[in-house]
Amino acid sequence: MKRWRYDSARDLDQTLLERLRRFPREPDMLVYGVRSFAALIIRAWLRAYHRFEIIGHEHLRSDASLVIVSNHCSHLDTLCLLAALPLRRLHRTFPAAAADYFFQSVPRIWLAAVVVNALPFARQTQVRQSLSICTELLANPGNILIIFPEGTRSRTGETQKFKSGIGALVAGRDVSVLPCYLEGAFDAWPKGSVFPRPKKVRLIVGRPRSYRTRAADKIDICAIAAELRDAVNELRHG
Amino acid sequence: MMSPRIALHDPIFHAYLCIVPISLVVGGAVLGFLRWGLKKEIEPIWRTYCSWLIMAPIGLLVVFAGRVPTIVGVMLLAIFAFKEFARASGLYRDWWMTGAVYVGIVTVGAASLMPHPRGQEPGTGWYGFFVAVPVFAVALILLIPILRNRARGELQRMSLAIVGFVYIGWMFGHLGFIANAINAYGFICYIVFATELSDVTAFTFGRLFGRHPLRSEISPGKTWEGAIGALAVSLLLPWLFRFSFPFFGAWQLVLTGLIVGVGGQLGDLSISVIKRDIGTKDMGATIPGHGGILDRIDSLIYVAPLFMHMASYYYGLR
Repeated sequence: MKRWRYDSARDLDQTLLERLRRFPREPDMLVYGVRSFAALIIRAWLRAYHRFEIIGHEHLRSDASLVIVSNHCSHLDTLCLLAALPLRRLHRTFPAAAADYFFQSVPRIWLAAVVVNALPFARQTQVRQSLSICTELLANPGNILIIFPEGTRSRTGETQKFKSGIGALVAGRDVSVLPCYLEGAFDAWPKGSVFPRPKKVRLIVGRPRSYRTRAADKIDICAIAAELRDAVNELRHG
Repeated sequence: MMSPRIALHDPIFHAYLCIVPISLVVGGAVLGFLRWGLKKEIEPIWRTYCSWLIMAPIGLLVVFAGRVPTIVGVMLLAIFAFKEFARASGLYRDWWMTGAVYVGIVTVGAASLMPHPRGQEPGTGWYGFFVAVPVFAVALILLIPILRNRARGELQRMSLAIVGFVYIGWMFGHLGFIANAINAYGFICYIVFATELSDVTAFTFGRLFGRHPLRSEISPGKTWEGAIGALAVSLLLPWLFRFSFPFFGAWQLVLTGLIVGVGGQLGDLSISVIKRDIGTKDMGATIPGHGGILDRIDSLIYVAPLFMHMASYYYGLR
């Protein structure tokens, strides 16, 4: 008789916290349940408290891999983008979150890994490695990546310069990039304030763009980052 | 019967409320002397001991909280222990099978909680259904491939699911059903305490005198010396702790000793067989120094059902 092949979970010898911190995480029924439940509550709260509104809903309704790119000035941003996506894609949506901020203390790790399904992005130390994790994710059809290319929350509400990493990620790759603009999130919950205020938040979703034909050299990826920033900012006025 | 109010006036529960902290203090004193007095390297054992300092009060608190918390607590332990088994064996990748076993484990808990629908007073558990749950759980597990119209690799999944349910869900689940016994405090406190003590004894004797491997192909760490030491202590313990079941005769005390002394180690070994075949050392890393939940409760897999049926054969649970 031949031996059975056991397909053990890859994080068997890790503690609960290490399992939440590692990426990619093994799927877990309990985590999926809590995340779905939290998503419903967050959606209801955004609708009621922030009168959350989505413009350009139709661009989010595809089944292909997506990179969602948006301006960043508040913790609400990630929640709003997650709330705009269909619920069934929740567990395959990975917002890139700063590893040095979200993956250090226990409550933040829990929130980032369980509720938000965040991808730990080492923005200071291992950018290249983090980008290659993103690339692997995108190779899997149906995954969604949420990236704030400014690299941190804006202190003024103005969109800052986009980091070139976003260009490196999408240049020459067959994946649609969706520029989004979040309006009102800065007034509702700026960096440094503890509680969100009941201000209206609006999400404007732009047309999908593709950078398949572009080369991945230094000049091009910087150009793509600048183009994307313009695309995001244009949504604000249109 | 179990409830916080009864526990406050129950002499057996009071006794364990003293015995457990005393054992922890004695154990801590011995380990502390070895560590700081004799400067021995016992860091891993110390970690294991520190985890006991957390687990023991939680266990006592759950038993104190009454019958429903005890049964639900055993059910949750079974669910998370099965989850570890499923993650280690790869069954967890199939959420249908895993879900079916979860349903089975919850059914075991429900059968322990609810009274017989016709007759008997509440708070007694539905013994007939409890004993028959495997029929329904196995039927559900066999149904999954049929519902999903799949055959490839399903025999392995069904087998893993059935082993997982019967070992961890049902056999271990007997510990919850014992909460329905009139002498619930004595039974539950005794078998948990005695089984864990037998584990510790086997480890200690193995460490001190261990020469001959017990089952070299299954668990290289266990020795005949440890097993015999644990059996000796387990045979002695029922006589010392006779207050837990004052109505037991001599023969029942011997049986209790044998069930704990032999059954505890068999439970340990049967989980070791699974771990060895899968090729993992521990089922998880949930409890520092112990491994997974399943690594902690494995000795009870034989002890709980055998003890329960022995007690109910001679005296009836109620």
